[in-house]
This record gives sequence, structure tokens and C-alpha cells, in this order.
Amino acid sequence: MQVMAQAQTVSAAPRAKGLWWRDVIGIMLIVICGAAGYWLFPDNLALLTRIVAVALLVLSIDLIVGYCGVATLGQAALFGAGAYAAGIACVNGVTEPMTLIAIGALAGATAGLVMGAIMLRAHGLAQLVLSIAIVQLFHEAANKASAYTGGSDGLAGLMVSPLFGIFEFDLWGKTAYLMGFALLLLVFILLKFIVASPFGMLCRGIKQDPVRIRAMGAFVFPVLLKMFVISGAVAGMGGALAAISTQVVGLDSVSFELSANALVMLVLGGLGTLYGALIGTIIFMGFEHMVSAINPFHWMTMVGALLIAVVLAAPGGLTSLAEKLRGGKA
Amino acid sequence: MTAGKRILGAAVGALLMGSVSAYADTIKVGIIGPFSGPFALQGKNFQAGVEAYMALNGKTVKGHTIEVIYRDLPAANPAQSRALAQELVVKDKVQYLGGVYFTPDAMAITPLLAQANTPLVIFNAATSAIMNTSPLVVRTSFTTAQTTSPLGKIAFDEGVKKAITVVSDYGPGVDAENAFKKAFEAAGGQVVESIRMPMNTTDFSPIMQRVRDSGAAGLFTFLPSGPPTLGFVKAFNETGLKQAGIKFYAPGDLTQESDLPALGAAAEGLKTSFHYAVSHDSPENKKFVEAATKAIGGADQLSFPSVGAYDGMHVIYKMIEATDGKQDAQKAVDAVKGLSWTSPRGPVRIESDNRHITQNIYLREVAKGADGKYINKEVQTFANQKDPGMPTQ
Amino acid sequence: MQTILSIAIDALAFGMVLFIICIGLSLTMGLMRVVNLAHGAFAMIAGYIASYAARDLGLGYAVAIFLAIIGTIIISIPLERFLYRRIYGSPELTQVLMTIGITFCVIGITNYFFGPTLKTIPLPQALSQPIDVGFRTIAAHRLFVIACGAVVAGGLWYLIERTSFGIKLRATVDNAAMSDALGVRTQVVYAISFAIAIGLAALGGVVGAEFLPIEPYYALRYMVTFLVVVSVGGAGSIPGAVIACLLLGFIDTTGRYLMPEFGNFFFYAAVILIVCLFPRGFLGRAQ
Repeated sequence: MQVMAQAQTVSAAPRAKGLWWRDVIGIMLIVICGAAGYWLFPDNLALLTRIVAVALLVLSIDLIVGYCGVATLGQAALFGAGAYAAGIACVNGVTEPMTLIAIGALAGATAGLVMGAIMLRAHGLAQLVLSIAIVQLFHEAANKASAYTGGSDGLAGLMVSPLFGIFEFDLWGKTAYLMGFALLLLVFILLKFIVASPFGMLCRGIKQDPVRIRAMGAFVFPVLLKMFVISGAVAGMGGALAAISTQVVGLDSVSFELSANALVMLVLGGLGTLYGALIGTIIFMGFEHMVSAINPFHWMTMVGALLIAVVLAAPGGLTSLAEKLRGGKA
Repeated sequence: MTAGKRILGAAVGALLMGSVSAYADTIKVGIIGPFSGPFALQGKNFQAGVEAYMALNGKTVKGHTIEVIYRDLPAANPAQSRALAQELVVKDKVQYLGGVYFTPDAMAITPLLAQANTPLVIFNAATSAIMNTSPLVVRTSFTTAQTTSPLGKIAFDEGVKKAITVVSDYGPGVDAENAFKKAFEAAGGQVVESIRMPMNTTDFSPIMQRVRDSGAAGLFTFLPSGPPTLGFVKAFNETGLKQAGIKFYAPGDLTQESDLPALGAAAEGLKTSFHYAVSHDSPENKKFVEAATKAIGGADQLSFPSVGAYDGMHVIYKMIEATDGKQDAQKAVDAVKGLSWTSPRGPVRIESDNRHITQNIYLREVAKGADGKYINKEVQTFANQKDPGMPTQ
Repeated sequence: MQTILSIAIDALAFGMVLFIICIGLSLTMGLMRVVNLAHGAFAMIAGYIASYAARDLGLGYAVAIFLAIIGTIIISIPLERFLYRRIYGSPELTQVLMTIGITFCVIGITNYFFGPTLKTIPLPQALSQPIDVGFRTIAAHRLFVIACGAVVAGGLWYLIERTSFGIKLRATVDNAAMSDALGVRTQVVYAISFAIAIGLAALGGVVGAEFLPIEPYYALRYMVTFLVVVSVGGAGSIPGAVIACLLLGFIDTTGRYLMPEFGNFFFYAAVILIVCLFPRGFLGRAQ
């Protein structure tokens, strides 16, 4: 318990004011990476779009795990809610992509509200188990409602109309990638403002010491619930993006496996910085893609070895490694 | 190496190639399948089927060298499936796509085909509806309804008037339930109860208790091949249903050859219907099994996806032959419509209307083979079964 | 009545398998505060060893169980020494990352050496026969599993409540630094408890192989079930784990009998309800 408290203090070290230029540089770097992806891997845009969609999911987990200290292994419930809402809307005639993203965000936020209301009743391991139970229930529901969701065969036949009436979602996936990337950037900047706002600070405070925050006169439950709703909206947008770019929604988008993988990506990258979420996603999915193309029979062993190596070398995730290096130089 | 030598080398190379064919080049085929993960064995069977075909029929068609690229898709994941297909088409410039184990993965690829000008030959994914999503899809596996339907009549003819269906609660399970019900009721029987059980069920004794309570004389079941089948069969024996004389019917997914060593004596005597048994007695199958066993590295790992892949490669070879290496998806697909040949599983034909394979369905019984290992022994043949199509919900 | 009895006995057998496997995880999580998601991987390793011993070497069932437990513990020693010792006291998420990594590696390696097919552990004649218990026939093996579960529960209770090792263990759990100062060799206590937990996982993996068949993805497939059971029972509590296993086994089995189509709904809805009512599990210790 003691060690944990220490670790939390480190991760939530107060950031000096006047470091706004660091965020500007960070966001510039993200733009450069996004553009580099577009120019360097023009033949892999579908993969890159998938990474963007999962990055949104991982960001949404960071909001509640990294900033609120609520452990979850069920975030895919929110991602899947967005994906299925967008998919069902699309099949029923709402084909404008931006509208679909908005529908996904709304569905994700609603699911986030429900999930938060249940999960915030418990702590620690029990909370983790609640999140698993919830995602399994969502999965069962999606499987059962096969008249609407296609069940295990997947919800197919999404015909998304061109973006702004001009740019089509085609084989090469340029539209999907650029739209997804713009969305990711926008969400990222918004989230940066949110986590730096008094509300975001309050969340971090709750993560460190809920008792003290209560003593200060703040209500813990509504604050965390609000963050759950925001997180749900972000995850829902990721799901909607995946639905639009893939044109199929499968049961895997509400699975425990996706939730667990996304959490692993986040922890790999580092909690509570938003950058860690992006770095973790890119490294995990890039690694998986490369290794499974070279030798699919052994990728699991190698991914496992990578995770163990990261814990041994950088227990706080890869971003903490960067911090450590910088600290070493200074 | 100097520039001069390089040019000389290229010229000699061109001459050599030219003597084989005017269009000599490499044609790439992209195969998507589960090569890792819980279904890795099925992916290995894809690969074994492909390699067996190429070992027996050569790696060139009309002078075009065939190169196969494998891509791993461990579990049903449409987004990843689309990304892989896109990469194969755009980056690796494959002219043909093949493989695909799960239905949603196929559904994610089919919208791309027209734009990619690439046919897709499905080696497994067994839902009827896939074929309606693109005219550029051909399938060489089976549909669940196709392998299930004959069981209805078999059960009725064996004196079962009342049956109960127990299936895994997902797409193919529901397809199987509907197909059996339709066939069994058409024959004159009555399905007294239909149970759908969750995919992750591990203890089947409560289900068996329900079977017993229902008073049915026959049990029809569908489970995806893999670990749960073992528990199901054991529960059937241990709860005394087998002794009570309740007849057991299932499509062959339940007793696929790679699960038989584990199922062992528990499965002896079980009757299943399927399109292919590794033990099928024909010269074509003997050649195939020998080559595929070499490719997969162990006879007991071979099962039905390998023959889907083998015939899938046959179809792809015929497509390449028809287009002579030029990329023309529609022409390639048109060329194999109505194509018939003798596959290791028996005589087969690609129907012109739905581009699905028409084939014999066999009733098999799990029995000890000549070498003491368990096999699916074919006991009855239902010739030329078409896909009965989408069973209505 | 006959049906109720019949279902009850199935539920009991299934619950006992869960108990034998999960009690080890409950101990590591409750006493050592390590979220060991690789717990199922050890049960799986034991299953492979037992299968190899009994099927390929033709040894007896009892010998196979013994070899599996010893072999799994031997394999776990270097893992404990070099990997787990690094994450004692780390934040839970770091432990999750590490143990998922270990699980992936174990799956990859078993897949490479043993192949992806199912492995069975042949039962001796006496256990494989159906026994007539009056109102129905039941596999003798199920009765054996129930007996195993009872022995494990009793043995553990005795070990922790009645022996000097148990006293040291409880002391270390309550306050490791203080126990260390009082001369308890906490590192040794941790190492022994870890070995016991792994040994129990191994036993559960072997005797439970009839319910949860041995194949490379065993470790991931049942990870959620194990976690759920431990948290419902309350990490670290033996009676809690017994209650949780029996209750969840009962809900699962009756749910599947009454409404198989909604079996999972029953199970997870019950879990949500229980966890909301008892946030620390039935008998979890206050933290």
C-alpha cells in the first residue's frame, strides 16, 4: 500500500506552469508522426486507421485509469457501444460520416454513464471484476440481439456516404485515415485542456486521496461519473471510426480481449500522460503487425517477452523511461 | 558488380524467361487465416492444403510463377481482416485473395473486391449470406446448412421421431439448428426442444439433464471444433445418455480428425455428417493426404480446412489459367463458374449462380482404423448436395 | 427432487474444480498482494506434464498428479526468483502487465513444443466408470474431484490456522516489516506460500482437466472465471473462496439447466449484484 501511494505521487507530480510550450511541441510531434505515417506507409493506411481507432480507445482508458485511478478491463463495452450504434444507424439510412461519429460518441457516453454508475460502487479488484462482468454482459447482449447486430456473423453492409459529399471511403483508405487522424488530434487537444482544467485536477486529487478530497467538501462520485461519460464519448468515437472505416462491426469490438489488450497498451506506454496512450498503442500494434507478418507462429511469445522486458526495464511504462533518461541527463 | 555485368545478367535472364512464356512473371496469392491463436491448427491446415496442391501440381501456371503470401488473423476481427486484405492488395500487389476462416472477416473483405479487381476464394467461412455480398467471391468449403441437412432424414429413418437440438449460441450454431429442424420436420419428425448454450460453456452435465428430461430419442448438436467438444461428448457418455440409447447426431465439426486422438474411445460410434473425412477412400485423396501430411508435419493434425484450401488453390490455378496472368477479377470468376473436378473429397462442382461448391455429404461413424487410430469411417453418401441456402430464422 | 439433487451434485463438482484452482490465486492475491494473471498458466503446465506422464510414458494417474505438481513447482521457482520477486509491492497494473506477459510466453512456448491440439489425461479404470448413486449415474471422477476439494480446503485451513508456519504467514501478511524485525524470514515465507499456491493450481489443473480441457489457450480462456471467483470470495479467505465457488458453481449450473440461452446473463448479473453488495467479496479482509 505504501509503495503504491508513492508510485501514485510520482505519476501525478505537479506540472510546473509555463510548460505549455511542451504541449505545443508534443502536439506538433503527433502531427508530424501522423503525416509521416501517411507519406511513408501509403499502402498500409487501413492498418494505420485501425491504430487510430484503438488509440482513441486507449486514450479513453487513460482518462479513467491514469487520471482517476479506476481500474477497468471492460472499456471495450464503450467502444463497442459506439461501433454498434454507428453501424446500426448506418444500415438504417444515416450514412453521413460525421453524424455517425457523433452518434458513436453519444452511445459511448451513455454506456459510460451506466458503466460508471455501476463500477464506482466498488474499489480495487472488485471494480476490475465489475468491469469484466459488464463487458461480458454487453458481449452477450450483442450476440443475442442478432436481428440488429448480426450476432457473431458481424453487422455487414455499412454503406457510408462520402465525407463532405466528396471524399469516398475506398480501398486505399486515405479518407478514413485522414478523417480518423484529424479526429484523434482534435480529441487529444480537447483532452489536454480537460485534464489540465480544475475538473481534471480534481480527478487526480481523487486518485491520490479520495478521503482528503471529500474532507475538502467535493463530491467524489459525480466528478468521476463525469469523467466516465467523457471517456465513454472518446471510446465511442473510436468505435464509430472503426465501424466506418471497416464497414463491418464484429463481436470482437465488445470483447474482454480487446479491453485487456488496450489496457496492456496503456500500461506499456505509461499512465496518466495521454502521450503514453498514443506511444503504447503504436508500439504494441506496430510490433504485433511486424512480428506476425514475419513469423505468425511465434508472435505471442515475442509480445509476452516484450511485456516482461518493459516491466523489468521501465515499470512505469515507456514514457517514464523517457522521463528517467531526461532526469539522468539533467 | 559493374553496371555492364548487371545489364548482361538481366539480358540473359530475360532470354531464359522468354523461352518459357511470353508473359512469364510472378503472380501473387494472398492467404488470410488464423496462423496463431486458439485456431492456429486450422490455419496450419490452410497452409498444408495450399502447399500440398503446389507440390502436386507445380508452382507455375502457363509459365507464371505462383507466389503465396500468408497473413495471420488469429481470431474473428473484421477491422484487422480489412487491414490485411488492403495491405495485400495495395502493397503486396496480390492478384488473388484466399483463405478466411470466420464469417465476419469475409464480410469485411468482400466490399473491397470490386475496387481491388481481385477475386476472393473462401477456404472455410461457412455462412450462406457471404456469397450475396460480392459477385467476386467463390467458396470451396461448405455451409453449415449443407453439411447438416442430410442428418434430418438419417435420424428419422433410424426411428427417431422426437429429437432435441443443442447448439452453441452463435451464427453457425443457429444455422445448424434451423437446417436440422427443417430437414427433420420435412421427414416427419418433431423437434421437441431447442437449446442454445453460451459459447464458453465448459460443464455440460446440466444440458444433458435437460436432454434426458425432454424425452427425446435423438440428440442433434452443433459445437465449433475445439476444446468444448471433448467436454460435451464426455458428458453425454457419463450422464448415462449413451447407455439409455439416445441417438447422437452432429455435423462433422464435432469430430474433426485433429480432435479424435483426444476424444478417443469416448467418441466411438458417434455419427456425424460432413463433406470430407481424411480417411476417404480414393486415389485423389491418398495423394492429397500424403502431400498434406508432409506439409503439416504430422498425420494427426490434418483435418477439413486443408481440403478447402487444396480445392481453393485448384480454383485459383484455373483462374490464372483463364486470365493468363492478367488481372481481371470478373473474367477469372466467370471462368470457374460451372467448373467441376474430382477433389480429394469426391466429385465437386462450382455452381454458376451462387459460386458455392456442390459436393457429396457423407455420413460417417467414429471407428478404429486399420492402424488402431480413430477415424471418421464413411458409411453412407448423399451425392451432389447443393447449399440449401439461408435457413429462415 | 431427483432433478434438483442431480443438478446439485453437478454444481458441487464444478464448484470444487474452481475452488482447487482458484484458492492458490486467492492466496497470492490476498496474502502476497500479487495479481497473478498467469495462475491459470501454471495449471495448464501441470496438465501438460500429467498428460505426458500418463499418456506418453504410461505412468499411473496418481504418479502423474505427483509429477505434475512437483514439475510445475520446479518450473515456477526460477520465475518466482527472477520475475515475481521484482513485482511484489508494485502497482497492480504493473503486475497485470508482467503476468500477462508471462501468460503469453507460456502459451507461445507450449504451443511450440506440444502443438495446438487438445491433450487428455487418461483416467484409471476406477475413476472413468459411471457410478450409480441411486437417482442417477455420475462419473466416479466427479466424486473424486469433490473429495479432493474437501481435502484441500481442510488441509489449508489446518496449515494456516493451526501450524507455526501459518502463524508466520499471517504475521507477514499483517505487517511484513514488523514480522521481519521479529525474526520471521519473510522472503522464505513468501517463497513457500508461492510454491503452495502453484502446487494447488497444478493439482486443480490435472484433476479438473475433465471440465477444463488442456490446450495452449487454457491460460487465457479461463483467466476471467478465476479472477471473478477470487474477487467474489474475497482475496485471501479460504471459507470465502469455498462459498464463492459453490455459489457461482450453483448459479452457473442451474442457470444453464433452467435457461441455457441466458446462462451467461445469469452468471455475470449475479457477479455484478454480489460485488455491489459485498465490495470486498464475501469474506475479504478490510484493507
